[in-house]
Amino acid sequence: MGLQPINPYKRYIMVTVKINGKEITVEDNTLILDAARDAGYEIPTFCYQADLMGIGSCRMCLVEIEGQKKLQPSCVTPVLHGISILTETPTVMSARASMLEFLLANHAMDCPVCDKGGECELQDMVYKYGPHKGRHAEPKFKFHEKDYALSPVIIKNSNRCVQCMKCVRVCREVVGRNVLGALGRGDHQEPTSFFRSFLDCDADGNCIEVCPVGCFMRLPYRYKTRPWDLKGADTICPYCATGCRMVIEHRDGEVIRARAQLGVGMNSETLCARGRFGYEIINSEARLTTPLVRRQRHGTLEPATWEEAFRIIKERMPSLGGNTVGGIAGARLATEELYLFQKLMREVFKTPNVDSGSRWDAAAVEGFIAATDMAEGGVSVFDCMEADTVFVIGSQVSEENPVTEYIIRRISAGRRMNVIIAGPRAMKLDSSANLLLRHYPAAEAALLSAVILDINAAKLAASADLTAAKDAKLDGHLKAAGLTIDDVRALATKLRNSESIAIMAGTEFLRYPHGIESLNLLKELLRSLGKKVRVMPLLDRSNQRGAWEMGVHPAFGPGYVKAPAPGLGISGMLDAAADNSMDALYIAGADPAALYPDEAHVKEALSKVRFLVVQDIFLTETARLADVVLPGASFAEKDGMLTNQEGRAQIIRKLLPPPGKAKVDLDIIRALGEMYDRSFGPKNAALVLDEIRRAQPMYADVSLAFNNKRNVDNKLDNKAALVKGTKAALTIRKFEQAASGQDAQYPFMLATGNHLFHSGRLTNYSKTLNDLMKGMTVEISEEDALASGLAAGERVLVSGAGFSVTLMLTVKKGTKRGVAFIAENFDAAPVNRFFRKGKGAPRVKITKA
Amino acid sequence: MNEGKGRFDIMELIKKVLFTDFVKGLVITFGYNVSMDSVITVKYPDEEKWIPYRRFRGLHTLNRTADGRELCVACELCSKACPTRCITVIPMEDNTGRGISDRVAKVWKVDLVRCLFCGYCEDACPTRAVRLGREYELACFDRNCAVKNREELLRPQPVPEEMSGGVVAKARLRTTPDGIEVVADLSETRKRRV
Repeated sequence: MGLQPINPYKRYIMVTVKINGKEITVEDNTLILDAARDAGYEIPTFCYQADLMGIGSCRMCLVEIEGQKKLQPSCVTPVLHGISILTETPTVMSARASMLEFLLANHAMDCPVCDKGGECELQDMVYKYGPHKGRHAEPKFKFHEKDYALSPVIIKNSNRCVQCMKCVRVCREVVGRNVLGALGRGDHQEPTSFFRSFLDCDADGNCIEVCPVGCFMRLPYRYKTRPWDLKGADTICPYCATGCRMVIEHRDGEVIRARAQLGVGMNSETLCARGRFGYEIINSEARLTTPLVRRQRHGTLEPATWEEAFRIIKERMPSLGGNTVGGIAGARLATEELYLFQKLMREVFKTPNVDSGSRWDAAAVEGFIAATDMAEGGVSVFDCMEADTVFVIGSQVSEENPVTEYIIRRISAGRRMNVIIAGPRAMKLDSSANLLLRHYPAAEAALLSAVILDINAAKLAASADLTAAKDAKLDGHLKAAGLTIDDVRALATKLRNSESIAIMAGTEFLRYPHGIESLNLLKELLRSLGKKVRVMPLLDRSNQRGAWEMGVHPAFGPGYVKAPAPGLGISGMLDAAADNSMDALYIAGADPAALYPDEAHVKEALSKVRFLVVQDIFLTETARLADVVLPGASFAEKDGMLTNQEGRAQIIRKLLPPPGKAKVDLDIIRALGEMYDRSFGPKNAALVLDEIRRAQPMYADVSLAFNNKRNVDNKLDNKAALVKGTKAALTIRKFEQAASGQDAQYPFMLATGNHLFHSGRLTNYSKTLNDLMKGMTVEISEEDALASGLAAGERVLVSGAGFSVTLMLTVKKGTKRGVAFIAENFDAAPVNRFFRKGKGAPRVKITKA
Repeated sequence: MNEGKGRFDIMELIKKVLFTDFVKGLVITFGYNVSMDSVITVKYPDEEKWIPYRRFRGLHTLNRTADGRELCVACELCSKACPTRCITVIPMEDNTGRGISDRVAKVWKVDLVRCLFCGYCEDACPTRAVRLGREYELACFDRNCAVKNREELLRPQPVPEEMSGGVVAKARLRTTPDGIEVVADLSETRKRRV
């Protein structure tokens, strides 16, 4: 009856204890609390939370141990062999009631006003165990009169605090931000930021979620409703590929809260700012509510009926288009929709040109899938964290996948392991790493090649010639990556000394695909040395992996089955369009005009497509160029399945109907198909899922059932939801490193990626997230700022070849010198204008504005 | 048997011919009208109006503190306690001192068509903001006017709280563009006779 998953390498000592007379056997060092819960007895707690360090501060969990005079806090006391524990004696019950009376003595008791009222743990406990009357007649101690805001999303009332310190611990141990601390002592102790000032925090609101009372509260949700008025749906956060489970809740059709639940999903109670506060896009005024058509050439987009929009599509989209028709689907559509989309393109329009996403080259994607073993089935992040060494490369994981980062931090703090991070920019997770490698952008290939050479050095040492050749090559790689030999040796040593290694490879490999080959080589090399190597991709779109597995790719169909005739990927389609040879393009849920590197090229290509259909929820940059715009549904308005980066299939549920005349994307795709072929189908999401399950061994027995079940033990890893492996013949093409388009007069290399508060351009429609960001920024290292005489907060002009933009400067300690970072999410600073097709990472210069 | 019955029928016939019961009834009615001591009819709505006791459960009222701040903190307990779900409360934040806390009601409305005047809302209210008042003239021509909103309910009550009620007040009927209303003069009241 172990509480932890059985680890074969660990010796388990089992002890027998008696709980309320019931004998149970548990692993040694189990907490009495866990043992009692395992035995079926409930013990109330405030400060205890699985995953967080136990501090035993709330004293709600006191239990009696036979032979000991004093009651003991069960959440920090481990079991001993043979002890007898009593959890329900009159002494224990009166201790609980007394503790609650103490907590209420200075509690504000403003439940009618408090936003937590109705779902407050203190209310529930007093109702259940409490004294129901207080004897405290003196005036209450008050920290402050008015609630104060700690950030644009967090508001605080310390008078309600029960001093459980979960907020402080979650901020330190899980989020790693360390902006909360406790001021004062005893019942005058207040968890807050220093001097109650505004927090410069990640605004993820995990302190709100763990708070058992109404001390930390959501500012956007403040005084809007009561919890019992909300109607909710279990769903998956659509803003990155971590796949956090959350509940979105609406009152009278307006979504006003997203929350995570303890022990549900892989994220348990944690979410990031995007997930917790990015729900505003659902009710945004800017949502498309009716189809738009361009009735005259070069005219404007005008509202139309569905019938008219479909009639125009039928007239102008050739049914047997072949190579002159193409389809691009966004990686935010549900898996069922993506499956139907590629089926529509391949079977109705008879074209092999399908691709997903709007940024990456199709061949790079194929190589990346092969290098990260995606076709071999899902890899759980928890399994990766069981390894001796975790190597994060090519991803700004703290900003792109915040909750994956929380998992890495939390687990790596609790066990002896290496966390190695390679990347150009400093990030929050650096504090958990014991080896940091700062290389130039797009230099993953050089770094990995250097490590491969170093690991192989022993084999080469025999011959002096070979060694010399190796050293020459190594020097070249080190120079390209901007690293020293010591960095690479340290990395190689750590990899050599580990038995099991998990490589987390991020999207930089897709941006600059020449690194994919080295990644694959390193994986194979480590495997050949007898190490257990797991590779997990870190992706930034919620259903990117699902899109690839559904075959929304020119080179392979569903389940990575090789396509009979490979078609054009997004780059190919845009090139063809620029040559005037694209008759029709159907883009669903993707925004290449805003995100494809080289804006001038993509806009020219899209305007030359003879007939462009765009299906999205907002009038995106791409939609503005379209001939017909179809309004789709957001994640809150459909049923479906998303596959996260680990390969975990999870379901999303419908909460609201789509706004206005908008329709669920699956229905639009099906209706389009039915116009050409009456029998096109399956007809609904459930039937599509059946077809996917029948046809594909990967999804045949994936369990979707567990996902909504609450498990109190925080065993978050649900392996039944991982997709299975399949046989796939994917090729890793060799990519040459493209030279940067500019010369040395531009001193900074430009790195791009997602901002912590944003996911693509979609979240720009959330007011809360925009307010959090305080303007568009460019980030450089502290040393560079000093050297060029710039200070953080200054307005600077960032200029590259052909494009310049004024941004606010932020400075980060520890970022590689000569690297500037601009997030790709800003509408007013389209970073893709710095890029040139076929060129490498662009260079920029930064001057005072 | 037959004889007895026959005599009874004759008596009945005589009574009917002479309108005996009718006359008896008229005597009672007439008696009430001529003797002021025994009149129990209230001349509502033309001359008089019944002012109920304090315990009466009529139209909801939303109360204020002595300095005019709204007592309602929009905690929604009234709407939760309501067995017919006729109360809708939507809170909002207002720190201008409108209410006793920063939390005030943006919407507080009650659908009187569904309300059964049980008074649970009054019991549930933690700030004694909701009271079932003494207003009972609720008839109207449109179902929408049976939904009373916050602004209406916050108006001062025609019958003050300190008045114990249980009296008949002098009143007059007033015609306004919105309809007719009965205006009671609370200074001139009389006990109801039983």
